Amino acid sequence: MNIKDKMRKRLKLGRPSLRARARPPKHRSVCGSQFSAANLPGILQLQNCTDCGHVQYPPTELCGACLGSTLIYRDTPCTGTLLAQSQLHHSLWEYFKRRIKEAPWTIASVQLDVGPVAIVHLAAGDLKTGNRVQVFSHSDASRSVVLIAVPASADITTPALRQAIITTIQLDQPAKRQQGI
Amino acid sequence: MKDYSGVVLTTPISLGYARQSPHGAAWFVGSVLREMISTAGLTKKDIDGFSVSSFSLGVDSAVALTQHFGLCVRWLEQANVGGVSGILALRRAARAVQCGEAEIVACIGGDGAAHRSFETTAAHFSNWSTDAAFPYGAAGPNGPFSLITAHYMERYQAQREDFARICLDQRYNANHFSGALLGHKKLSLSDYLNARPIAGPLHLFDCVMPCAGGEGFLVMSEDRANQLNLPAVRILAADECHNAHADDPIQDRGGWTEYIQDLYNRAATGPQDVDFLQTYDDYPVISMLQMEDLGFCSKGNAPAFVGQTDMRFDQSGPGVNKLPHNTSGGQLSCGQAGAAAGFLGVTESLRQLTGKAQKNQVSNARVGLVSGYGMVNYDRGICTAAAMLQGVAR
Repeated sequence: MNIKDKMRKRLKLGRPSLRARARPPKHRSVCGSQFSAANLPGILQLQNCTDCGHVQYPPTELCGACLGSTLIYRDTPCTGTLLAQSQLHHSLWEYFKRRIKEAPWTIASVQLDVGPVAIVHLAAGDLKTGNRVQVFSHSDASRSVVLIAVPASADITTPALRQAIITTIQLDQPAKRQQGI
Repeated sequence: MKDYSGVVLTTPISLGYARQSPHGAAWFVGSVLREMISTAGLTKKDIDGFSVSSFSLGVDSAVALTQHFGLCVRWLEQANVGGVSGILALRRAARAVQCGEAEIVACIGGDGAAHRSFETTAAHFSNWSTDAAFPYGAAGPNGPFSLITAHYMERYQAQREDFARICLDQRYNANHFSGALLGHKKLSLSDYLNARPIAGPLHLFDCVMPCAGGEGFLVMSEDRANQLNLPAVRILAADECHNAHADDPIQDRGGWTEYIQDLYNRAATGPQDVDFLQTYDDYPVISMLQMEDLGFCSKGNAPAFVGQTDMRFDQSGPGVNKLPHNTSGGQLSCGQAGAAAGFLGVTESLRQLTGKAQKNQVSNARVGLVSGYGMVNYDRGICTAAAMLQGVAR
């Protein structure tokens, strides 16, 4: 059986996750895809309402404050405060299942100084509630943009520095299947 | 707000709980309907109102089900609001009956549990969840709730032992309820504390087990229930509020605070008068938020409150304060059957208030409070509802 037939069979059985390289969830809504596109350059781009100035996250079609329809992506200050963090030992997605086999995966909730609360990947182990953090956007191994929080002291000014942080948490690498199914 | 006089809830049905099932949501909804009309001594023709809640109907809607089941109804509703769907259904159906738009409304929640269907539901739960929550670890509801629980524990010095109080007493209740999926297993404090970690402070027994199942009840006029000789329950007051406290950075209260005092006033009862409390227990911390916001204790005091409170249905525990809580074991011990989980507290309350609960009957249960919570659109549950119910004396 060639690879194509094998993959087709696995998809038919509803087990696409057994592929050799698992990647993070790629699917997004239309607004989510626009968020990914807007965030390819720069540190953090969020929707700003041109009518009332409200900063919106998660992305929507209309401003959550004034219901205006002219939301545009702008460079946004990336500082915030850590609200809570959690180490995941269980996931529904094969990519994270494989990562969690190596070590728990840490997520956090951050209140950005511009207003919104963001759920993020936390790329530092020694932060506490109330600590100052920076949140930047970066594409993951599925080429979708996700948010990553690092301590306020971390240098994230260049793309290379941000890429290095992503690489340390292996978010830009697919999770390879170990031997055997 | 006008009262709900003249309207009653009857014929609670809970069926088909299974960890996995080859059947779809329509099977569970239809089976509940079949059991309901045969229990009540009705025929399909008598049902002229139909309210359906389900996550897994797919492209079918409530109206598609009327054709599947050969129902002709003059009042139709689909309330896909997860954990509050039972209370929303009863509020709307009660008004329909009160206003004469329908005579008998069947309110049903049901969901299947096909192989790996929970992953699909979690991955596509809402646009905000798909875009801004699921990509972060793909933990499903465990992700946001682990953050809420971690925050609550830190802010109010709650311990895992406090959450255990809720889980252990509910399991004791489930041990006396034949419909509970985990009712055949006992749970000890050391089992609870040594369970495998799932997400942050959440361990295995803090998380509900997704499953298949159906729940439902009938809403009709009190006169009709009398004619049919059906044990019935009145709605003393009911209310709902969604997306309250949106500016709280992380959830530690819900919309109950916006109406609970008014609800108690309308019902002319208070938290001290209820014979049992049914909360929406997708995670024990959420039951604690409800105990606080529904006025059983003050904000942040739920850990101490559950420490002193015996929450078993038969009041056999050591706690001085007695409050039977989630008397069928709740979702933590029955399983979470999708949108049917929003009906679980209502159907269990109906069984208790009509004296039809079996081994887990609360003695002399006359008034009960049932509360709903649900829909983690992004980082928190945004729906809340509550209803004060009273058994009709025969």
